[in-house]
Amino acid sequence: MDALIFLLILATLVAMWRGKRRLAGMLFAVALVAVVLLFRHHATDTLPISL
Amino acid sequence: MTLFRLCIAITCILATCAVLVGALWAQYGLGEFPCPLCIIQRMGMMLAALGPAWLLCRAARGPVDAHDFAQCYACSILAALVGGTVSGRQVLIHIAPGDPGYGAPILGLHLYTWAFIVFVVVVAVSAVQMLVLPKRAESHRVGVGARLSVALLGAIIAVNAVAVFVESGFHWFLPDNPTSNRLIDELRGAPPTTDEASNP
Repeated sequence: MDALIFLLILATLVAMWRGKRRLAGMLFAVALVAVVLLFRHHATDTLPISL
Repeated sequence: MTLFRLCIAITCILATCAVLVGALWAQYGLGEFPCPLCIIQRMGMMLAALGPAWLLCRAARGPVDAHDFAQCYACSILAALVGGTVSGRQVLIHIAPGDPGYGAPILGLHLYTWAFIVFVVVVAVSAVQMLVLPKRAESHRVGVGARLSVALLGAIIAVNAVAVFVESGFHWFLPDNPTSNRLIDELRGAPPTTDEASNP
C-alpha cells in the first residue's frame, strides 16, 4: 500500500511536469486522501495524555 | 515569475529533499527501520513539495498569475496540515515522561519532532508566499537548476517507493515496529518477524 501511494505521488509529479493540470490536481487529491486513510488505519493506539 | 519567487520555490523543494535524504540516511546509514507513521510523514513532505514543483512546472510553460501561485501553495498547506497532524500525533504518543521515543534522536530531537517543525515551516512559508501574490502574470525563464530540483524530488520519491517495498515485502501494510526488510526475508525464506504490539 505504502509503495503504491509513493508511486501515486510520483505519477502526480509526472502529470505536473507534462502540464496536465486537471489530471495533476486529481492525482494530488487522491494521494492526499490515500495518505489520510493510511494514517487512519495506523492511528489505533490511545494517546498517553489526558486533556 | 520573478527570479526571487523562482528561488523561493527551488529552495522549498531542495530543503524538503534534504530532509528526505536525511531520513533515508537514518534508515540505511544508522540502520533504523522507519515505522508506518514515519513513512506517512515522508509522504506528507513530498506532497508539500509538490506545490512549489507544480509552480515551477507551470512557469516553464508560460507566465504564472496569482491564481497559479495560490493554487500551488494551497496544495502545500493542505499537505503540511496532514503531515503535521501525523507528526504531532507521534510526538504526543511519546510525550509521556520516561518514554524513550521511537528511534535515536538526531541533533537532540527525534525525527518526528523535526518533521513537525518542517511542516510548520512549510505552512508559514506558503502563507507568506500567498500574502505577496503577484498583481499580474509573471514570466521568467526556468533554468536547469529548477528542472534539476524537480527531477531530484522525483528521484527521491522513486527511491522511497522502492525502499518501502523492500521494507514491507508483499504485504499491504507495514508492521507497527518494523525490525527487518520483509522482502529480503521472504526471498531468503527466513521466518516472518512478528509485529511487536507497542506504539511506533
